[in-house]
Amino acid sequence: MNFFNVIRWLAWKDLLSEMRSRENISSMFFFALIVILIFSFSFSTDQQTARELMPGIMWVAFVFTGIIGLGKSFTAELQNDCLENLQMNPIPRGAIYLGKLASNLLFMLIVELILFPLFVIFFNLDVFEKIPLFVLILIAGTLGVSSVGTLFSAMTVQIRAREVMLPILLLPLIVPVMIGAVEATGGLLRGDPISLYRPWIELLIVFDVIFTIVSFWVFEFILDH
Amino acid sequence: MSGIRGIQLSQSYRHYQVLKDVSFEVAQGECYALFGPNGAGKTTLLKLLATLQKPSSGRFEMMGHDGIRDRNRVREFLLMIAHGSYLYGELDAVENIRFALALRGLSPDAREIKTALDRVGIGAFADFKIRYFSEGMKKRLSIAKAILIRPKVLLMDEPYSSLDERGMKLMNQFIRESTGQGASVLMTSHNRVQSAEVAGKAGVLFQGTLRDIAVKDLAAAHELF
Repeated sequence: MNFFNVIRWLAWKDLLSEMRSRENISSMFFFALIVILIFSFSFSTDQQTARELMPGIMWVAFVFTGIIGLGKSFTAELQNDCLENLQMNPIPRGAIYLGKLASNLLFMLIVELILFPLFVIFFNLDVFEKIPLFVLILIAGTLGVSSVGTLFSAMTVQIRAREVMLPILLLPLIVPVMIGAVEATGGLLRGDPISLYRPWIELLIVFDVIFTIVSFWVFEFILDH
Repeated sequence: MSGIRGIQLSQSYRHYQVLKDVSFEVAQGECYALFGPNGAGKTTLLKLLATLQKPSSGRFEMMGHDGIRDRNRVREFLLMIAHGSYLYGELDAVENIRFALALRGLSPDAREIKTALDRVGIGAFADFKIRYFSEGMKKRLSIAKAILIRPKVLLMDEPYSSLDERGMKLMNQFIRESTGQGASVLMTSHNRVQSAEVAGKAGVLFQGTLRDIAVKDLAAAHELF
């Protein structure tokens, strides 16, 4: 079976559906916007304080925004029993996981890229020279959240209390991602030498690799049982 | 070689036994119509055969392959038309067909899709989103999908529900065509008159057990169960 075609078609279907309904991205965006607004008015905005606070606030906004999107990732498949259809099709389960992961990652990154300029404005940050490294941290952190989140989204989709169960299961597991992302972003914003926060970026990359591979293998069991 | 062969299939939910040692055979090019009251286990039987559930005991074969051990192979043969239409609301009819066929490694050209949609009478709605479709139109779209996929085993859960008279004729025409091409069809139904037109064999599932009945008696019998 054409493994990569399945990934491509699943991601295409999710993106097309989202572009038309804007259900996921708009709810994610407005939640994150409210977080930014509340925090930006709660703290003083001198650059020093902003640099200290911003990484934590930003990743809290990104992670909780991501959970909103991840929660809806598989519930969309429940309409018209589409999940049953995916289960019945002669396609590798790992390809379904990677297709869903690709679309979840993309949704989260789109929202984060829309929100990032707002963080810069509201927290009065000077980050333009550091954008390439910032994008690397953003992708590594977001992949960590979405790799585990996609698996747990599939695991909880048939549970009645799935909106509660997803964060309960997901948040403890992604603590290393959140710590790594906050520390790496903080180091970058403070202008520390890269050697000081490189271990945190490495931690993110190692987490991404391990959890994407594990989730890929476990997904067949989750979907078929 | 039989298309579908159930061998002493049983299924229990907690303490309730839905299916009790159900055995049957559907030859290639044959249509088997299954009747029974609501809750008799008809849909459960179809879900077992569609590899969506595992039986508590017993086994089944499809085109000579073991349905439990070899379920990935079995999935290549089968297609299910069920109450859930397996369609995505935000995609239009053509996009839904393209997506469903792509998961099976098929890529029909625009003309083939148009012909199939015209055949089932919804050609004029090809670019309409599915969320605007009635249940009957969704069922017709499922037939169009099946026409293009040409499965060797067709499982149909109440294929006549939601269809108007013309739609029912269309469904029977499609079933005849499929069996003519050698496909095995197993359908559950409450419509004895329509089913009698296409079925070569029939059975009644009642209190978990299956008994065969003559097709000629279908329309005439006062009560089946």
